[in-house]
Amino acid sequence: MLGSLLTALTAAAERSRSAGRTTSERIRRFETEQLTLHVLAATIVFLIILPVLIAALVSTKRAGIVTSIGDLAPGGHALSNYRRALIGLEFWRFMLNSFLMSVAVVVGKLVVSLLAALVIVYYRFPYKNAVFLFILFTLLLPVPVRFVPLYRLTTELGMSNTFFAITVPYLASATTVFILRQHFLSIPASLVETAKVDGVGPLRFLWSVLVPMSRAVLVGVSVIMFVYTWNQYLWPLVIINAESLQVAQVGLSLLRGQASTGEVAWSMVMTGSMLTLLPPLALLVLFRRQLLETFTIQQK
Amino acid sequence: MSTREVFTDRLQAGVLLLPTMVVSLVFLYYPTVRAVGLSLYRASLARGDVFVGLENYRRLASSSEYLRSVLISVLFAACVVVGVMAVALCVSFLIHEIDVGKGVYLVAVIWPYALPPAVAGLVFLFIAHPNIGIFTSYIEAFGVDVNWFSNGPQAFVVVLIAAVWKQVGYNVIFMTAALGNVPESLTETAELDGVSRTRRLLRVYVPIISPTLVFLVIMNTIYGFFGTFAMVDLMTKGGPAGATNILIYDLYRTAFQFYEFGFASAKSVVLFVAVGLLMYGQFRLSDRYAYYGG
Repeated sequence: MLGSLLTALTAAAERSRSAGRTTSERIRRFETEQLTLHVLAATIVFLIILPVLIAALVSTKRAGIVTSIGDLAPGGHALSNYRRALIGLEFWRFMLNSFLMSVAVVVGKLVVSLLAALVIVYYRFPYKNAVFLFILFTLLLPVPVRFVPLYRLTTELGMSNTFFAITVPYLASATTVFILRQHFLSIPASLVETAKVDGVGPLRFLWSVLVPMSRAVLVGVSVIMFVYTWNQYLWPLVIINAESLQVAQVGLSLLRGQASTGEVAWSMVMTGSMLTLLPPLALLVLFRRQLLETFTIQQK
Repeated sequence: MSTREVFTDRLQAGVLLLPTMVVSLVFLYYPTVRAVGLSLYRASLARGDVFVGLENYRRLASSSEYLRSVLISVLFAACVVVGVMAVALCVSFLIHEIDVGKGVYLVAVIWPYALPPAVAGLVFLFIAHPNIGIFTSYIEAFGVDVNWFSNGPQAFVVVLIAAVWKQVGYNVIFMTAALGNVPESLTETAELDGVSRTRRLLRVYVPIISPTLVFLVIMNTIYGFFGTFAMVDLMTKGGPAGATNILIYDLYRTAFQFYEFGFASAKSVVLFVAVGLLMYGQFRLSDRYAYYGG
């Protein structure tokens, strides 16, 4: 960063000399320019955060009717609102279900995909490319194009309204296998050769060499998978009828229905929204470095 | 690569691959094949299935309601792609040009990647509500009658804004990474030549990061088609009068409001073909652009 600042300054100085201006003038112009950029960036950040900021403020009010900026002063009902949403309206149950679903999918996908990626990178066997294509091809089959027949299948298996239905169908992941494969390919081949010579088996190699060497990527894909699973709406909506098994996203739509009929205040809907936003947001902020690193692998 | 393939036990390989293969086969491939089969039947949960051949597809082709839904989906996805990418490009460029505090701005801008679509929909429903929305009175002061619960084009725009808001962050992640990979020397040369900022972005950076842009066009199109389901469901229910009835919502209603599973399967097959064409397009395009993408 310091280097680029220096080059930019040198370049600026160069140009100002040829234009017959002093270096200090150029530096001042450079600083004003940076200031403008910062003001612009701050404005954009503000606009992007604003809707959630409003929602957060509304979640602290009793009724939550805010029809002008002046109504936005935070209210004193934050604690009672969140308590009412979590306990009174049993939102804790939706949150817990979402959490269990997400953790199960993350852990399951991670194990299943690690095994698949291990085989695809470190095994020699016939039709390997066909197998890899078979896995990659599932990218063409997102939930929306198959949820109707999947619903029939799950119902016929007697699995609708079960934890099974909102976890197992998610366990195969072309994206995760692909990211892990790319990452394994960037690990020197000599490592596995040494392991082989030393008589280390594939699972041991996976556990004590690959996993420790892939920590950042594993955290990154876990965050991606968690956000993806936590935010699922369509599939739980159609396959889960029992409220006791329902997830937070669909729980929100129940709150929305109650708000439009006047059963609960809008502040309650915003309280639920903030609760639902919190877990994935916290993970993104905590693990932003690993997440960004993993995304750059995905695109290759 | 071949030097890495040190393990040769085929049985082991098969066992380790088994979980991924079984789940893919049972929950991904089989339902897709089944959708094709089911699309040839008149099927509902209550009554048995009756084979009707291509009748469902004939019905699709002649349904003006469905064709309208196709048009709305394409228009909506196009607006999402253009809106998201224009905003994200400006934001990414801005962050790229800033010297101090890049990391903070980046997180402050990309967080909506984690935002649940249902939350995005509800928050926008609330702040843009025709009766109790916080911005409603200000917008109406400009002479616009905010009534998107009954005004189709307005509803389309409100859902679009919510959709763009949620998706910009995801695009910024990839764009800033791509901009960060542009060789420093190119920027310096452009600066020494006195190329203005905007021209530098459009003439130097955009061509270099075009493989990323192609990738994002596809991802945003798929998002526009599918990722906005929760927003439509919570904000407009496809209305008013079908103005936001995008294909995925139309499909959902066919299956779970009217319980026409055969007809819904035909619609699923159409979506599958659309996704396939998009992915194929990305594959071909990124192949072509890869030469100067590096």
